[in-house]
Amino acid sequence: MKLFNQINIEPSFKTLLFIAALFIGSNSIAADYPEKGDFQKGAKAWAENCVRCHNLRDPKDLRDDQWITTAFHMRVRAGLTGQKTRDILTFLQESNNPPRPIKASIKCSDAENKNSLTGQEVYEQTCIACHGKDGKGTVPGAPDFTDSKGVLSQSDEVLMKHIAEGFKSKNSPMAMPAKGGNPLLTETDLSNVIIYMKSEFKK
Amino acid sequence: MKTIHTKRKIFLFTLSILCTFSASADEKYEQLANEVEALKKQLEQVQSALKEYQEESITKKEVQELNQKLEESVVTQDDVDELEKQVAEAGEWNSPNTLIHMAGYANVGYASDSESYSIGSFSPIFHYQYRDKVMLESELEIKIDEDGSTDIALEYLTIDYFLNDYVTVVAGKFLSPVGQFRQNIHPSWINKLASAPPGFGHDGAAPLSDVGFQLRGGFDFDNSSANYAFYVSNGPRLIAAQEHDDEFEIDGIEAEGFSSDNDGKKTFGGRLGFLPFKGFELGLSFATGKATVTEVELEEDVHAFKSLAFGTPGDEGEEIDLHDEVARDYDVFGIDFAYQNNGFELRGEYLKSKVGAADEGITASHGATWETWYTQGSYLIPNTRWEPVIRYSDFTSATESRSQQQWALGMNYLFTNSFIGKATYEFNDGAFDTNADEDRWLLQLAYGF
Repeated sequence: MKLFNQINIEPSFKTLLFIAALFIGSNSIAADYPEKGDFQKGAKAWAENCVRCHNLRDPKDLRDDQWITTAFHMRVRAGLTGQKTRDILTFLQESNNPPRPIKASIKCSDAENKNSLTGQEVYEQTCIACHGKDGKGTVPGAPDFTDSKGVLSQSDEVLMKHIAEGFKSKNSPMAMPAKGGNPLLTETDLSNVIIYMKSEFKK
Repeated sequence: MKTIHTKRKIFLFTLSILCTFSASADEKYEQLANEVEALKKQLEQVQSALKEYQEESITKKEVQELNQKLEESVVTQDDVDELEKQVAEAGEWNSPNTLIHMAGYANVGYASDSESYSIGSFSPIFHYQYRDKVMLESELEIKIDEDGSTDIALEYLTIDYFLNDYVTVVAGKFLSPVGQFRQNIHPSWINKLASAPPGFGHDGAAPLSDVGFQLRGGFDFDNSSANYAFYVSNGPRLIAAQEHDDEFEIDGIEAEGFSSDNDGKKTFGGRLGFLPFKGFELGLSFATGKATVTEVELEEDVHAFKSLAFGTPGDEGEEIDLHDEVARDYDVFGIDFAYQNNGFELRGEYLKSKVGAADEGITASHGATWETWYTQGSYLIPNTRWEPVIRYSDFTSATESRSQQQWALGMNYLFTNSFIGKATYEFNDGAFDTNADEDRWLLQLAYGF
């Protein structure tokens, strides 16, 4: 109080500081709402709608609970439907996890039992929202896969590591989330999509 | 005697033989004892080595058991998901019904016309949400004046009730949904130049905010979508300026969100947006209602505002009763567009605000019109963080001295996607010897959080 008096801050500003302190002190929580949306549709809606006004925010910029209030704020501001909001929220919440080494996240037996997706299926479900149908990229920072000296000229091992753990190019304004934000993809799925991208886009 | 001697000899002979044998047995015993001792040492060494070997080696069975334990200890994604689920369900505060979050933005900078560093504003946005039903959101704007005092303004405060997937009821003080710039583009970390286009700020053509309620939402179609925002509100107020003795003209529209409606007549308005294909949006806006003069600017002292109707008389001069001023027509029309594709953006906006004439009242006068438009292009250079920007604006004000044409060139550097450095140069063309005619540099750091 003495400090406030010394610098002559109005009483309303004291109230503001108090409120701000309450907000800043909030902890991470895991809400059971809203109901889960569609990850793939969310990735597409995120890439298409957020850039209508501002630069895309990295999914890792905020925690899951912070993304809830942010997504609902943007639902009002951008005129999004409830379903599209839930889809985008699901994409953001599943894309902001720190990367895990592949060996720690899957069992070989799981990979053997699971019906792996084809490379085209993985690309069209997870990658296409940002990298585009033609592989030239639809959002700022997405590389041009058709560039003969571009990212696809790297070895499979390097590409696998970048896709599995997430990657941010030196001058790109945003990072690709681990596994493109889809934690359900297996090592086999990632191998398949690398083969698909090289055959489809690399000149 | 001879017999005795013979027996004696025999005894001595026998004794000597026995002694000889006895000495030989002692040597063998000694030898055997040594051998036994050596064997015992060797046996201990073998037993020790065997024990050590047994301690260090594991059986095949033990290998199998270890493999099984290792297999069981591998953490899978399913395990992590299940654990996260259990953690989420474990404590009451892990999943509260209410979420609290503070977002917002701030900017600092330098302007060459004032030759001063400045704090643009600090604008915290508070979100308080109850599940997926309702959200209270409020933005404050905190600024430092030239004299060092702090100004706090309530930019907006609304309670948003999510009625269903397609309709949200918004009540309170809200940013005007007329056009795009004010409601979505004005935050400094979003606006790609360090200034607002002429006509989109205070004393401009575009309404800034209002108090009332809105219905907002959107609809999705196969490959297109639409959004809408319609509102009813208290509407704006007018400022009249004294030209000659008893002649006035409308000097400005105050559309900044008043919590009382002086003429009792509501304003209706809204915006309808169409997104016919990916990356393109077209918007149509309108507002219509009534507005009344509540302040006058006197000829002899342009700084003395009179507003008896609301209890804030000027410091000097005569008092003017504005209670009986006529409610004038108030109409706004706007059209906007935006197109984005992989770092390239082109957007534009046109707005026209019109106030009707009044035949009666102290400030009776002709009507007035404000008109403004801008077009802005920007491109984030691939594989860099540099973003050049260009904008042209043309603002025609009812008060001629505020009219302005402007070319603005900018170069931005994206430290992150929400932390941006901007260098903007404005070529301004306005009334001679006014601020509107002065070119200037603007440097700005803007951070959205």
